[in-house]
Amino acid sequence: MVLNNLDGKMLSKMVIFGARNLTNNVEYVDALNVFPVPDGDTGTNMNLTITSGRKEVELSTSNHVGEVAGIFAKGLLMGARGNSGVILSQLFRGFSRALEGKATVDAKQFAAAFDGGVVTAYKAVMKPVEGTILTVAKDSAKVAVETAEKTDDIIVVMEAVVKEAKASLDRTPDLLPVLKEVGVVDSGGQGLLTVYEGFLAKLKGEELPEGASALSMEELVSAEHHKSVQSHMSTEDIEYGYCTEFMVKFEEDKLNESPFNEEEFRNTLSNHGDSLLVVADDEIVKVHIHAEHPGEVLTYAQKHGSLINMKIENMREQHTTILESDKKTKAKKPKEKANYGVVTVAMGDGIADLFKSLGANEVIKGGQTMNPSTEDIVKSIKEAHAETVFILPNNSNIVMAAKQAAEVADARVIVIPTKTVPQGMAALLSFNPAQSPEENEASMLDGIANVKTGQVTFAVRDTSIDGVEIKENDFMGIADGKIVVSHSDMEKAAQELLSNLIDEDDEIVTIIQGEDASDKDVDALVSYVEEKFEDVEVEVHKGEQPLYAYIISVE
Amino acid sequence: MSIEMSTKLGKIGITTEVISEIAGGAAIDCYGIVGMASQKQLKDGISELLKKENFSKGVIVRQQGEEVHIDMYIIVSYGTKISEVAHNVQNKVKYTLDKMLGLSVDSVNIFIQGVTVTNP
Repeated sequence: MVLNNLDGKMLSKMVIFGARNLTNNVEYVDALNVFPVPDGDTGTNMNLTITSGRKEVELSTSNHVGEVAGIFAKGLLMGARGNSGVILSQLFRGFSRALEGKATVDAKQFAAAFDGGVVTAYKAVMKPVEGTILTVAKDSAKVAVETAEKTDDIIVVMEAVVKEAKASLDRTPDLLPVLKEVGVVDSGGQGLLTVYEGFLAKLKGEELPEGASALSMEELVSAEHHKSVQSHMSTEDIEYGYCTEFMVKFEEDKLNESPFNEEEFRNTLSNHGDSLLVVADDEIVKVHIHAEHPGEVLTYAQKHGSLINMKIENMREQHTTILESDKKTKAKKPKEKANYGVVTVAMGDGIADLFKSLGANEVIKGGQTMNPSTEDIVKSIKEAHAETVFILPNNSNIVMAAKQAAEVADARVIVIPTKTVPQGMAALLSFNPAQSPEENEASMLDGIANVKTGQVTFAVRDTSIDGVEIKENDFMGIADGKIVVSHSDMEKAAQELLSNLIDEDDEIVTIIQGEDASDKDVDALVSYVEEKFEDVEVEVHKGEQPLYAYIISVE
Repeated sequence: MSIEMSTKLGKIGITTEVISEIAGGAAIDCYGIVGMASQKQLKDGISELLKKENFSKGVIVRQQGEEVHIDMYIIVSYGTKISEVAHNVQNKVKYTLDKMLGLSVDSVNIFIQGVTVTNP
């Protein structure tokens, strides 16, 4: 069939079909609605709008295309409801303007009318949001014009419009992020597509059912479910916990007792939950509902017949399971067990970072006055997730705990008895993942032997150790565990300690600055070392450790 | 000036500028709006179309006791159903403020300051 000229009568029929098709799909369009406000009324609004237009057209007897289009546009304008309704009215306002004064139109004029609609619709918006009904109208109008260049057949043009509208609709989630997030296409665009499909059906002489839903129960259910996802973001928010689906096969004797009335049935069920769908024919009624007490729903429905194809799912459980499995896949990526892991103990965030940058897998918080427990160490060994785990305790008080942890842990654990932070670092620097565990142990122990440790801290009481008189709040310089100097001035103590530690073979001095030492203090100390020991290089790191103003390693 | 919201953990203060920016941004997403207008039409003479940075001139946020009211001065496109466009703006603004700020608005009053025939 070929149609080269469109008259008013045909346009009226197209409008009626378009409106009818939209009416049939109202629930589906509603269910898609997430933008601009996810209130699920796009379909309803568009339907009220187009129904108003349809009524005006039905009252008219004109066979003049321009007149019919004008009447339709006016009806739409008067009945415009919601954003999409207003847009729909604008699209057809532009459409009718393009047809003004024309008794009949050919394919080119018909296509130009779609384009006119888009131009008008875009004019009425400050910031067009793409990925909406506007985009669908624009894309399909463009194709309409292109198609009309090649053919005089209005049906072919309309076919191209429907095809492109569908393709454009499928693209809307890429243009509007909120649609992608929820996984739906634009509701207004879907509404427009159904109108266009109605137009095409009439042009092709196809029939459209009036009143019945053209969509399958499955499509409706999935649309309803997506709505639930929208509104039930957290498990506690699920008001009706059971997704209940069933069919009732009518039985005559039961119907005699309680006759089936679809509207009454629907209203009664709606008191039991939400996301309700009821589709009925003479033999069967299909029901989908989210109810808190599915039993009550079933009992009520059973009055009309026998229950078949029942399915009840606990949505709270499902939701929790989904959340948990999400969490699991995020947290527990199947991690390959590494060959080596290094667990160390440190005080101060700066030192922890230093250790991590040197290759430690786990840094346990602890040190002087704050020793980690065996359990802490075992836990970290587990976290390191390796065949062989080295432990660097960095404190003589923790070495025992580390050895205990080594016995309990599942992995092979080697404790390198480092007693100070510099020893730990030296050991870590000697570690070479390419070597065997035994070789590593040996070279790490060597590493410890090659480093001298100095620490500056303060005395908490008067005492005398190793022949050094110490007063409360004095600063003590400790060289490899032995107090060598005590001074009321921190800088003096540090200087004397360094002089004590450094001999002519040493090349590198690393100063780890603690919480109690200011940058100025450190600068002064560095200058002192550089002046006094010309051959030595000085490095400074911020260790942020408490108690020890300085931790110094000398190699 | 700012709107204060009390939560379990403490207070949240949101300046009216933020609210009017969000309200204005939400409004121009709506179909049929072609601009925001200054509410001081007499002073400005013409209803100047306000650019994004000037939303606050076209959006007035008022707090009366516990209630928040918003007045919006807009310009709509000729040929649209103006009452419906205004209604859409009310819906969208209320929804967006609730979604972004958790702010429940008691009223969104729309003042149509003008109708334009074409896009500026």
